[in-house]
Amino acid sequence: MDFLALTLAGILSAGAPLVLATLGETLTERAGVINLSLDGTILLAAMTAFALAFVSGNPWLGLLGSIAVGIATASIVVFMGPILGRSQLAVGFILTLLCRDLAYFLGNPYARQFGPELPVWSIPGVRDLPFIGPILGYQSPVVYLSLALTVFFWWWLFSTRAGLELRAVGEEPWAAFARGIKVQRLRIMYTLLGGALVGLAGGAFSLAVKPGWGRPQGAEGAGWIALAIVIFGGWHPLRAALGAYLFATLQVLGIYLQEQFPGLPAPLFQVAPFPVMILTLLLVNVGSTTWFQDLAFRYPGMKRWLSRWQVTAPAALGQDFRPEK
Amino acid sequence: MRVEFQDIHKYYGRVRANVGINLVLEPGRIYGLLGENGAGKSTLMKMLAGHTQPSRGRVIFNGKDTGGLNPSRALAMGVGMLYQDPLDFPALDVWENFRLGGRQRDKKRALSRLQELAERFHFGLSPEEKVSELTVGERQQLELLRLLDLGVKVLILDEPTTGISVTQKEMLFTTMSQLARDRGRTIIFVSHKLTEIEELCQEVIVLRQGRLVAQLQSPFQSEDLLQFMFGAEHAGTAESPERSQPGRGEFIQLEDVQLSGDKYSLPDISLQIRPGEIVGLAGLEGSGQELLLRGLAGLARVLKGRLVFDGEELQGRPYLKFRQAGIHFLPAARLEHGLFPDLSLNEHFHLAFPPQNGGRDNLLPEEGIKKFNIQGQLSTTARALSGGNQQRLLLALIPAQTRLLLLEHPTRGLDHGAGQQVWSHLLRRCRQNTALLFSSADLDEIKAHSHRVLIFYNRQLVADRPSHAISVEEMGRLMAGQGRAV
Amino acid sequence: MSYAAKFSLSFGRLAAAVFLSLVFTTLILLVSGAPPLHTFVILVAGGIGSAAKLAQTIAVWIPLVLCSSALLLTFAPGLWNIGIEGQIILGAIFATGFLRPFPAGASPLVLAGALIAGMIGGALWAYIAGVLRTWGRVHEIFGGLGLNFVALGLTLWLIFGPWRRPGVASMSGTEPLHPSLWLKGFKGFSLSPVSLVLALLAIFLVIYLLRSTRWGLSLKAVGQNPEAALLFGLKPNKRIVEAMALCGALAGLTGALQVVGVYHRLLPAISSNYGYTALLVTMLASFRPKLIPPICFFFAVLNVGSIQLPLQLKLDSSLSGVIQGVLVLSVFLVHGLEERWQLFRRKK
Repeated sequence: MDFLALTLAGILSAGAPLVLATLGETLTERAGVINLSLDGTILLAAMTAFALAFVSGNPWLGLLGSIAVGIATASIVVFMGPILGRSQLAVGFILTLLCRDLAYFLGNPYARQFGPELPVWSIPGVRDLPFIGPILGYQSPVVYLSLALTVFFWWWLFSTRAGLELRAVGEEPWAAFARGIKVQRLRIMYTLLGGALVGLAGGAFSLAVKPGWGRPQGAEGAGWIALAIVIFGGWHPLRAALGAYLFATLQVLGIYLQEQFPGLPAPLFQVAPFPVMILTLLLVNVGSTTWFQDLAFRYPGMKRWLSRWQVTAPAALGQDFRPEK
Repeated sequence: MRVEFQDIHKYYGRVRANVGINLVLEPGRIYGLLGENGAGKSTLMKMLAGHTQPSRGRVIFNGKDTGGLNPSRALAMGVGMLYQDPLDFPALDVWENFRLGGRQRDKKRALSRLQELAERFHFGLSPEEKVSELTVGERQQLELLRLLDLGVKVLILDEPTTGISVTQKEMLFTTMSQLARDRGRTIIFVSHKLTEIEELCQEVIVLRQGRLVAQLQSPFQSEDLLQFMFGAEHAGTAESPERSQPGRGEFIQLEDVQLSGDKYSLPDISLQIRPGEIVGLAGLEGSGQELLLRGLAGLARVLKGRLVFDGEELQGRPYLKFRQAGIHFLPAARLEHGLFPDLSLNEHFHLAFPPQNGGRDNLLPEEGIKKFNIQGQLSTTARALSGGNQQRLLLALIPAQTRLLLLEHPTRGLDHGAGQQVWSHLLRRCRQNTALLFSSADLDEIKAHSHRVLIFYNRQLVADRPSHAISVEEMGRLMAGQGRAV
Repeated sequence: MSYAAKFSLSFGRLAAAVFLSLVFTTLILLVSGAPPLHTFVILVAGGIGSAAKLAQTIAVWIPLVLCSSALLLTFAPGLWNIGIEGQIILGAIFATGFLRPFPAGASPLVLAGALIAGMIGGALWAYIAGVLRTWGRVHEIFGGLGLNFVALGLTLWLIFGPWRRPGVASMSGTEPLHPSLWLKGFKGFSLSPVSLVLALLAIFLVIYLLRSTRWGLSLKAVGQNPEAALLFGLKPNKRIVEAMALCGALAGLTGALQVVGVYHRLLPAISSNYGYTALLVTMLASFRPKLIPPICFFFAVLNVGSIQLPLQLKLDSSLSGVIQGVLVLSVFLVHGLEERWQLFRRKK
């Protein structure tokens, strides 16, 4: 029992950065913008957070720094993409590489140092509950933040007027524009907000989940997985968070299996999330292929089961919107 | 609200969309805005609704200059436009569409307000359904309710009757008359269909080549209207080019064929088509004619039955086999589905006619441009061509050995002259025993050019008649599910 | 616009972009406490300061040119072949695997066989990503990326597992190949004339395919409008997979050349980020083949020069990547601003 609780607590903790990054990108993509720079941004934000915390002795300052970095890269994406009309994919990809290299370059002096971490909070009342206590009662603030934000944005997206407008902008920006919704402003706002959350994910890595900085840090690849989880999650905060925790589970499971079976090669565990990522994407997209639809006619049961998993992107994802036409 | 256009000009580069328009629209009347495709009707209305600015001139509401308009300002001042293609959100629910951009309401109040308005106009809309599931007519109704809820005083309807059933059209007209009568709203009905303008409008404004050429009160004389629309040199209905008789024998056979597409299936069709036969397909959007065309082209799945083309069984074979057998499909969305926007004319020909595929009958690019009258150079991109020229390019790229032509809306968006040219070319092909199936929203076109008419309703083939044995009115009724089926 | 005017406009744009990059890089250097001018000098000198350095630079130029040319094939139908990095690695793995049974003394045929094996490996890896896209609707960015990490994992497993050096398994790679299995270089430099010729052949091959064949034209068509491509009978899915496979083959060749001509063994970092860098090169070149060789040279100078940074200035060598990324971004920025400016002027 203890072991299960500990494992679940570990999953919540390991999943926190992924949840934050995925939530942020879900919001951005709901507005129709793709921010491909996630992987690099997370690294740069992680480095900045650790460096700031190291220099100032205050991890909270570091966390603020990571948010700033996330907003900064997102502002480049939104400026060169939706505003200047360059390809969002191209800009995002260049930024991924650039931010990663920038992180390694500027972070050199802070590599393999010990620095401040975020304190672990113990919540009075919750910590004494049976079973839930050990899971939810003693966690880093970023874990609580990730849980709270998931619920918040789920409510925001589907039960508020602002959330409705966000969804409208990502689906049919021209129709939204015709109804007086400030399309461009919303796209900018949500890209920056999404970027802030992505930066927060980076800070969560270097100040809590995988403390410190190095080359490699350990957060490499997380941004790409987050991008895939956004798709797997159908651009829905709850389902996306579920996807993030799925990957966190794999990670925790990987650590456990590695200890139990030392004969298995280490690279297997580092690499395992990525085939899983490809499989999840296959799962949610395959329903739209012709060969699958042919199969589904012959085996309708399979179709019904699989179609529950299918996702459709916001219709205007990645497209330009130029109101001066 | 009184609307005034003062000396309105609109230029797009060298193209003059509107020239020197002076017009006053009084409240409480229903105006018809009549003109050919490209006459400037949509441009003028877009300026009224705030989507574009005039290059010169002013738009005045109740005596006050509006200054720069955008769609939300125009809406705030009371001008709303119902588009031919509704500007709504298919992925969202009906009530969410209703609520977007409207008054601040929570879900409960939005639902009840929607209900209230729907009942008043006898529209049946289910609030929690996704808009993508609605028909075009229902989407229009929803949009109308939304504009009314926003207190719109000037309502512009842009070609609203394309794609809606006869019943829905009658409901729409009744609603319009009702709206104009109580609370003195101004209705502007943009169309190129004379009969509907004559039926609904009190006053008609005719545009031709960007200019206002006539403003007449009802009752209207059709010949006068036509003359204003087309100019003195071309009045009266156009002459249909000569049609030859179809050949004999069963060229194409469908036996109990069940076709299935993305959204729906078409059950058991049995059909025979003769060489050189021209078959027009009529039906509201989504009634099944698109699927038949695609199925014959090899682009839709054949679930059962036999599809025989000149003795060869094609069901279950891939698209390329259909193409090799001599079947060619032309989509309605020319640039989006049929051409390569940034490739040149030369490159299009090169792709369509590979040099090794036996080529004496296939065209060289220069010949093609000349023969089909395409206004453009070898290096012009498809994107830079006008709609008519894009259609001509598509026609020029049809392989010489094509024996079955499948066309979606062959003359959509083309002006009258261009449409005639398209048909004279198509008929020339049919004289050489190429069979032709085409769908169209223009029942007159179907009646004028087909040997035979297939009518679809509710995803079924409901009638198969020789074109001389059915009237346009009866076609309309069958399309809407009324009248006797064969 | 006259030719001279066009040229000075392009030059002006480039100058503006270079200026912006210099400003940003200088800022970064100041933040990290490094002397900007001195750093630039070391970078450039490190790349072309001596014959040996120049040879090294050319040795980096070769894989960059090979991969950038290959990417032109996948960018033509609008594909984002991020997986090229993994395709290089698989080429290296296949080449190493091919050579392992030959302990010493073999004919040039064996080397040729290794190169071909590398091409097959790269093509195979790219084929998987292509099929994931055409059959599984998995975007090639994710398919390629996932496969990149898998390739890396595969390399690590081989180096520390079945192919490890007897006695000491380490990050320095597998057992070095016998010198007779090395691609001969120019007079002691590890720069092989064979590699140079192959790089040049590659770029000419790609130009030929894209400009003068129907196949190349149909790739462009598929990129512009897949539905129309289907209607024209161009077999878009087949084209996508073919373009990916051919690109993968060239990438695999690059990996094989790295093993056989440069490192003479399989390393974890065998691909040296050449795939990602080549993506930057191709974007910077706006997909114009003529610009690829000079840009690759500049990037190669940066890469080789940055090796000096940790030694002489205690700086991380990622600075070269920073400069490269900033340069591409600046060009995008200048382009975008210029377009905006034109639009603004036209409206007046």
